Amino acid sequence: MWENLPDILRLSLFVAIPLLVVALAGLFSERSGVTNIALEGIMIIGAFTSAYFMGLIYDKTGLDGNVLFLIGMIIAISFGMIFSVLHAYASVSMKADQIISGTALNLFAPAFAVFIAQSLTGYSKVSYPSNSFFIRETFLSDLPILGPIMFTKTWMSVYVGFFLLILAYIVLYKTRFGLRLRSCGEFPQASDAAGVNVKKMRYAGVLISGALAGLGGLFYIVPITGNYDANFGVYGYGFLALAVLISGQWKPFRILLIALLFGFVSKLSSMTILIPFIYDMKLPTEILNALPFVVTLIVLAFTSKNSQAPRAVGEPYDPGKR
Amino acid sequence: MENIIEMLNITKDFPGIRANDNVTLQVKKGEIHALLGENGAGKSTLMSILFGLYQPTSGTIKIRGEEVKINNPNDANDLLIGMVHQHFKLVHNFTVAQNIVLGKENVKRGFLSMAEPIKKIKELSDQYNFNIDPNKKISDITVGMQQRVEILKMLYRDAEIMIFDEPTAVLTPQEIEELMKIMKALVKEGKSIVLITHKLKEIKAVADRCTVLRKGECIGTVNVKDTSVEKMAEMMVGRKVLFNVEKKPAKLSNTVLKVENLNMKNKDGKEVLKDVSFEVKAGEILCVAGIEGNGQTQLVEAITGLNTHYKGTITILDNDVSHFSIRNRTLSGIGHIPEDRHKHGLVLDYSLAENMILQSYFDQEFQNHGFLDFKAVNLHTDDLIKRFDIRSGRGGKTVARSMSGGNQQKAIVAREFDRDPDLMIAVQPTRGLDVGAIEYIHKQLVKLRDMNKAILLVSLELDEVMSVSDRIVVMYEGELVANLDPKNVTENDLGLYMSGSKRGEV
Amino acid sequence: MMNREKIASFFKRESSVSFMSSILAIIAGMLFGFILMLIFVPSDAWAGLKIIITGAAQDGNKSFGNFLYYSAPLIVTGLSVGFAFKTGLFNIGATGQFTVGGFAAIFVGVRWTFIPDPLHWVVALIVAVLVGMIWGLIPGLLKAFLNVHEVVATIMLNYIGMYLVVLGVKRFVFNELYSQSTNIVSSAAIPKMGLQYLFPDSSVSGGIFIAILAVIIIYIVLEKTTFGYQLKAVGYNKDAAKYAGINEKASIIYSMSIAGALSGLAGAIVFLSTSGTHISTTYVLMGEGFEGIAVALLGLSHPFGVLAAGIFFGYIKNSGFYLQELAFTKEVIAIIISSIIYFSALSLIFKKFIGIFFKKKKEKTEKIGDDE
Repeated sequence: MWENLPDILRLSLFVAIPLLVVALAGLFSERSGVTNIALEGIMIIGAFTSAYFMGLIYDKTGLDGNVLFLIGMIIAISFGMIFSVLHAYASVSMKADQIISGTALNLFAPAFAVFIAQSLTGYSKVSYPSNSFFIRETFLSDLPILGPIMFTKTWMSVYVGFFLLILAYIVLYKTRFGLRLRSCGEFPQASDAAGVNVKKMRYAGVLISGALAGLGGLFYIVPITGNYDANFGVYGYGFLALAVLISGQWKPFRILLIALLFGFVSKLSSMTILIPFIYDMKLPTEILNALPFVVTLIVLAFTSKNSQAPRAVGEPYDPGKR
Repeated sequence: MENIIEMLNITKDFPGIRANDNVTLQVKKGEIHALLGENGAGKSTLMSILFGLYQPTSGTIKIRGEEVKINNPNDANDLLIGMVHQHFKLVHNFTVAQNIVLGKENVKRGFLSMAEPIKKIKELSDQYNFNIDPNKKISDITVGMQQRVEILKMLYRDAEIMIFDEPTAVLTPQEIEELMKIMKALVKEGKSIVLITHKLKEIKAVADRCTVLRKGECIGTVNVKDTSVEKMAEMMVGRKVLFNVEKKPAKLSNTVLKVENLNMKNKDGKEVLKDVSFEVKAGEILCVAGIEGNGQTQLVEAITGLNTHYKGTITILDNDVSHFSIRNRTLSGIGHIPEDRHKHGLVLDYSLAENMILQSYFDQEFQNHGFLDFKAVNLHTDDLIKRFDIRSGRGGKTVARSMSGGNQQKAIVAREFDRDPDLMIAVQPTRGLDVGAIEYIHKQLVKLRDMNKAILLVSLELDEVMSVSDRIVVMYEGELVANLDPKNVTENDLGLYMSGSKRGEV
Repeated sequence: MMNREKIASFFKRESSVSFMSSILAIIAGMLFGFILMLIFVPSDAWAGLKIIITGAAQDGNKSFGNFLYYSAPLIVTGLSVGFAFKTGLFNIGATGQFTVGGFAAIFVGVRWTFIPDPLHWVVALIVAVLVGMIWGLIPGLLKAFLNVHEVVATIMLNYIGMYLVVLGVKRFVFNELYSQSTNIVSSAAIPKMGLQYLFPDSSVSGGIFIAILAVIIIYIVLEKTTFGYQLKAVGYNKDAAKYAGINEKASIIYSMSIAGALSGLAGAIVFLSTSGTHISTTYVLMGEGFEGIAVALLGLSHPFGVLAAGIFFGYIKNSGFYLQELAFTKEVIAIIISSIIYFSALSLIFKKFIGIFFKKKKEKTEKIGDDE
């Protein structure tokens, strides 16, 4: 079993990284004071648009490899951001109920993706050359421990994910923007009195959230298959990321930890053939598939008692309110 | 001397209410100018306009003689206007320094740089003897300290015009004196100060001039030196004000509430109640005095059962209720006017009638086999509306949220009094109310006392403590540090007990 | 007589303003769907719009019956979500509760043939309700005692429930040929209760009556009983409820259990049918629960609002079926529904709009002298 551990860890990352990136998306929005339950919908938009355009570019120009992947990232980010404007407008400008707005976007995105896919291609599926994004070997492949986990047979998303984690940490805790953003999530009245434009900061929070969730959509689909079926959405990863955010107590590195845990458990359960003692138990696939969700629920049960949620999250800011 | 601030003919409308009606305020450079008025007179609204939080409906503002438009707090900052808000605008999990620099940060190569600001904050803190550690979190420092952080925020921004909104509400007499000294020092340095308050004593102590507001209108501006306290009070309220609560001497009888060795720890394991023991007898008003956050809230939560993480015994009329549920304590004879009427006292989205049965909906009077008897509920509500003079637009059908603060409080008072409890716990029952409503509630409390009920009053207002209570216990850091007769103690002494600098017999 | 004043007073009432803004949201949502159709398939757009609006009249009585058939589960899941909303909880787990309830109904409907015929469907229905209730009880307990947010807990339980149900179908009621659950015996199907004469050939069953009954019961519980009074008090202001001695934890547990029971009931209504409804063994969450959220939101969580919204969504869902005859997917309907929800979130715009039309006279007695 131990000889398979690096492989399991490597594959866990393909689950953990999209979760990490999308949980970070939620982090920016909620730290600015806006609940973003629409992560699932934004992911779908990011996944669908990037898959569609990457496929289109490949067909038209033959461009492939990680250059195409980079273009796909830009597309996923852009469309995620555009889509999240709807949530920002409702939540920030119109002071609407953020849960309602998010739910509407979650219902809208999968239907919209199928509708567009059908209208443009006649099918609900779009394909793209995902194999060409695969990184077989790097100059770091021989590194002990990390080499086989992170630098062999992998995707660029893994590196981008870790880079974004560090970037998110720096932006939130080491910059003026981060200080202001966090103040809006805790006590917007204080931000306003200090001359910080709460509306602007919350728009920024939601738009960054849209960008990252869109990107997370792309990261989710790439390691799985070479075509994206709009009928299947992103399989609840947006909701899972929300759970990761909450059990991660709204702190970047704890979020990483929880995402890795979830990734590990879910790969462990889908690769039992590699782990003799679990395999021998002959557990049904369904039980194994449910396991990561059960584990997340248990983690939540242990971490929710002292919630560190931003204090003003979910509350529209109304400076005219007396 | 020139006018540094001129707010001319300011009118401000909110949906359904005119908060300022043609108000004019002129403040001279280097003076302390008091803005006097009752709760709801429109003082805070006027100052929020000056600070850019609201836009006036009409009127002009001139700063240093020039007409300006203040669209947001940034504009106010640029005009060197600063404000200490009544409810501090501080982020609880930020450090002192982070709170001070917020909005005016020091950035180096794209990153936040805190070293220089921290140095400047330390210097300012030393200059005014503030004794502030810039690296402490806001949630870890006292209320008095937090106020100094707010003042530092203004100083850090080099404000020349400083607005203090009810700054003494949360301070002890000694802290108030300190604050007065600070204000005088600031004026000496060339700053101009607007002091919003409804406390006449403070105005007499520090202010040069005073503008009086009443129901949104400007009544006039007077020189403080030449005007008596009584005159200013009359301007503020519109009639002569009795400063004392009329009451007969208390006639004590049996013990109603007995608290023995009460200990409580908060979530972080800090002791918030330390060995608290006392009694309240029928026919007396016992007041728990103290600065906010010294365990009064927790004491009330323990007695009413809202928080049961305590050790000790609570007895009501010979019943040991220590392990009773909230409901059973209520039924054992507790009436409770809670500290926060919006949080605990009312379900704001329920109608007035629905709120009137909040503590008794399960009573046989109002239900039949689990079905609410709306006829009985409405009759009951109409009766209370009449007896307690509750004003509401659509009678019992009025949604509680749409009622004025004074009438919301009256509704709670009516509900709790009507249940005829043996022990009435009233926590800051007059907070945020105007003089009329305050007098009304004080009268009701005294009336209840004279009906041989026990009253436990928790108050932060020294005037209230001194005038209403028959006996005072003082709380400091979760302990009872004094047991006093209001007739034999001065406000100054009381302040010393409240700040922990003096201890007496309990 | 409806004079001007009466009309004005109607529009002044909070509830009528909310109702009007819901209507405007529906119009805006339909318009958006139409524009989308116009952009992508301009030639069929008008025909599409016509089908959406006249859906139930397509095949006469048959499609009218089918529209009632689609409405029933929507009403009940909407009621589940709306009930939780009223008591301060967001039950995004209606899908999971619906699924486990549906499975329980099928299980009883296939295996418990020992029950006497006339009682079979009743027992199956009750078991489904109980199982749904348990699936609601779990997040209720987690929220009450461990402060786990019900949104996340119910999302997890949606997946756990879905996997367990697929396992259950494979083990106990498997039709391998079609990879789905087997047919229930006919005694387990909810009787048509006379509707077969009104709407011959349609799939309609007595489920619609059960749905309406559920609406009435929930209305009475929420608005007329002390129990409902307690639950709503916790929903509006849990601190005040606690102050009043209402057991907040028990309230949360009751609310979630009842919400779960309702979703379980919806599952029974859908699957206790002989019109070919089965649980498939693919790993996909069922859409019904999420549609329930939309129904509750449009119905403003009020039982009668939910009834109206459920009927409306059932109507256009039925239209979606006919829409496929043109060049459109039935997802157009989901797009319209989600747009309606989004626009209803923006109801502030509509409320202002209505407010300008019927400008309120200031009620002097209220609000004056409010504290700062």
